[in-house]
Amino acid sequence: MKNRRLVLVIDQERCIGCEACTVACRIENNTTAPWIWVETQNVLQKDTPEGSFPELRMNFLPQLCNHCANPPCVDACPQGALIKRKDGPVVLDENKCNGCLVCIDACPYGAIHFNRSRKVIEKCHFCVHRIDQGLEPFCVVCCEGQAIYFGDLNDPESEVSKIIAKRKTFQLKPEEGTGPSVYYSPPRPKRRL
Amino acid sequence: MDEKDGIRVVRTACPAHCGIDCCGILAHVKGDRVVKLEPADFPDPRDRRICLRGLSSLEITYHPERLKYPMKRVGERGEGKFERISWDEAFTTIANKFREIGDKYGWRAIGWVLGGPGAGTTKFGAYLRLASLTQSTRVSAWGYGDAGLPCGSRVLFGTHLPFTFFLPYLIPPSVPELVVVWGSNPAETQPLFMMRKIMDAKEKGAQLVVIDPRYTVTASKADEYLGIKPGTDAALALGLMHVIFKKGLQDDDFIRRYTVGPFLVRTDTGKFLRGKDLGWKEKESYVVWDAVSNSPQIPGTSGIIAAITGTYRLNGLECKPSFQLLRELAEQYPPERVSEISGVSAELIRKLGERIGTAKPVAFVTHMGLARTYHGDISMRALGTVAAVTGNVNTSFGSGHLPAVLNWQPFLHAIPEKPSYHRLGILQLYDAVIKGEPWPIKAVWFAFINFVNQCANSGKIIREVIPNLEFIVTVDLFMTPTARYADILLPTCSFLEFSDFLPHPYPYVQLQQKVIEPLYESKSDVDIAAGVAKKLGFGEYFEGGEEAFIDLIMKHPSLGGITREKLKQQGAMKLPFIPDTGQKFDIAFSTPSGKIEIYAEQLVEFGQALPVYLPPLEAPVEPGKGKYPLAFIQGHSRFRTHSMFANVRSLLEMNPEPVVEINPIDAKKRNIKDSDIVVVFNDRARTILRARVTEGVRPGVINITEGWWIDQFGEGSVNHLTHDVINPVHAFVYEPNMSMNDVAVEVEKLEEAEK
Repeated sequence: MKNRRLVLVIDQERCIGCEACTVACRIENNTTAPWIWVETQNVLQKDTPEGSFPELRMNFLPQLCNHCANPPCVDACPQGALIKRKDGPVVLDENKCNGCLVCIDACPYGAIHFNRSRKVIEKCHFCVHRIDQGLEPFCVVCCEGQAIYFGDLNDPESEVSKIIAKRKTFQLKPEEGTGPSVYYSPPRPKRRL
Repeated sequence: MDEKDGIRVVRTACPAHCGIDCCGILAHVKGDRVVKLEPADFPDPRDRRICLRGLSSLEITYHPERLKYPMKRVGERGEGKFERISWDEAFTTIANKFREIGDKYGWRAIGWVLGGPGAGTTKFGAYLRLASLTQSTRVSAWGYGDAGLPCGSRVLFGTHLPFTFFLPYLIPPSVPELVVVWGSNPAETQPLFMMRKIMDAKEKGAQLVVIDPRYTVTASKADEYLGIKPGTDAALALGLMHVIFKKGLQDDDFIRRYTVGPFLVRTDTGKFLRGKDLGWKEKESYVVWDAVSNSPQIPGTSGIIAAITGTYRLNGLECKPSFQLLRELAEQYPPERVSEISGVSAELIRKLGERIGTAKPVAFVTHMGLARTYHGDISMRALGTVAAVTGNVNTSFGSGHLPAVLNWQPFLHAIPEKPSYHRLGILQLYDAVIKGEPWPIKAVWFAFINFVNQCANSGKIIREVIPNLEFIVTVDLFMTPTARYADILLPTCSFLEFSDFLPHPYPYVQLQQKVIEPLYESKSDVDIAAGVAKKLGFGEYFEGGEEAFIDLIMKHPSLGGITREKLKQQGAMKLPFIPDTGQKFDIAFSTPSGKIEIYAEQLVEFGQALPVYLPPLEAPVEPGKGKYPLAFIQGHSRFRTHSMFANVRSLLEMNPEPVVEINPIDAKKRNIKDSDIVVVFNDRARTILRARVTEGVRPGVINITEGWWIDQFGEGSVNHLTHDVINPVHAFVYEPNMSMNDVAVEVEKLEEAEK
């Protein structure tokens, strides 16, 4: 059987920036830093718009590990502690991690964090403990806006395949050549009165 | 209940007071401890939902600062000094004190101040039952911000809330062409029940317009945003109608059939012309002008076409159809004038008016925010009138789930042959305590309410209301700013520790199932009410605890055989469904006329028969008027449900402190930079907090989200700034509302203020 190629599609049109994904992830994975975090685009202060009143824009960009096809963190790790699974997720073998932090520098997305108390790194693993049981990642389940889709890009019938086929999507920092598994569907253009 | 790896999973539901999203929750229990919460399934998988607060609610249940046992005050009121007592001592003290006050002043001097019970029912019912048995006073909390919308809806539609008339356009298979969200921010306040529907509609092609003084998350999703001055909504509505009428885009047939538009009004009295004015034997009948026979007729007579415009003379009386009067009012509000009042550009007013007049259907979405102004009831009526004159009020029922009706009678009238409790609005409580008007209140029981924090004019509450009370009982989970003032302080349960019946979210009902035993010595509100009842000799009405009350309140045919036992098995169940037979029934409007009252005869004496625009009481919408130049409003934050969750550590990490949002134009004038500590002040108080300079709020307007506890400010608080002025129209129609979004303030840097 052909390998699955697990990806996330985040629909910025539906994302309401609520950060339930951040809270859900922290609870599910007992994280010490947000593995998924929500940026308000183009502004320094979250939840504030750009432009000048009343001509304003505000869009949210949830970010997490991109589970790259060519993950620089995996290449960089001297211990072989980061592993790219065949179905997509980049996971950590904590027993091998010595906390050298090389991966943190290698990641262009700032998605790897250092767990100070345990002296190892931590990052999103696509909730492999859930997906291996046929469940969805917890952020997907808890998304208030129903803006996050998870599925197999090798299955043309999956929701993620359909969205990527139908809509314009983008990935973060394509110039890095990492081949991210996280796709974004941008907000629809405004239809002004 | 599933058991696996020593984990027990229980389906319950979150009753938090958040626009009745009412998320189904699966609680994972290890031993006697809940270790995880996750969203539970619904019969329709897309209805599964949870929010960041619901996910965080274990931090409420296991909060280290929970009240753990009953206490009595030992220091001065408000000092926060308490001593542990037993439940028996607490109940005995309360019963004795209530008897003493009852004997001295009459039982109605005891007020049950019950806040929003959220989606809960029997915890509310238990106290109402006790209030009815003792014929004491129920202090209704609709007036702490939620009575304005009902005041408007009751006049226009005859129902407490307007939602049933607007919501069907958002429920599939209906796809609205246009969604107008007016003075509400469902993306943060009703993200699951309402915002999902809006975004679904948008995905299917609906255009979204948002009207708000703040550029909210909801506004960020809009195709067009109208940044209105707070409290000028009625003017905007009249401007939209001006455009609609000028272009002839109103729905004449709808106006004739469903509104009082064709009914003739006497221009001398402003009252509807009646049969008796014309010497008819149908003395009380309304009268319309039949354009076919050119004669006055009884409304609904077959073959007539009732005129909705023009001026007629009957029996020497000049009369006009009420729609004509509405037209004449709207005539005075051309877009340019409305633009000056509301701050919305004339071009946008014109475009939106035309769009509302041509799109079909238009779904209007509103909530309590725009009605939290002194004339907020008129704002509601005005936007509802825009909906009515364009035929965008749902007037029929053909198919769908019936709404849940609950068996409240045994709670409101525990002994049917005896009178029930007395009723007082919460804004009327101030004078009842301070002046003894309309009757003296000497003792209060606060349950699920943070009165001092969340009610208007907190300073007045602390200085004048609290000291004039002889006895205060507070039931809460925490030492809130209100709990500090209690004489007897009782610890209640978090939602995981008791059962309740939740008739939400439509079309579902759910069981809030007890997951673990009450922690520490806490008790559920039903058990607390029962404890007091027993001491007062009413124990027999409280036998069987929460479960008996759930069974009692569910005893209503509208639930179609859904029982507590079935809910235990199935979690959420859908209300009975009426299949589509092609037949449609008109929904009766419970107004005096049975129609949508775009003209309200009952308000003629107040000069408010039409949805007239009256300037806000305080909010300075005209430059140079009034002592304080900035309009202060209170948005709602996704990090709290009112003042709940304000003490949850992980949410505080994401949103650590109150900030006042101020537009860069206003900040610059005052030399305020982002993150500066500032003083927001008026004659009532000073409130000290950090400034957030943002384009997200209209120039001339500042916003502080409500719900932060008084102790989280450097000084003052949100409601130290608000006023408790009663609008007599609200008192006449229903219950006076607090005008939290109709307040004037000034802001300056703390260092300037301290100079």
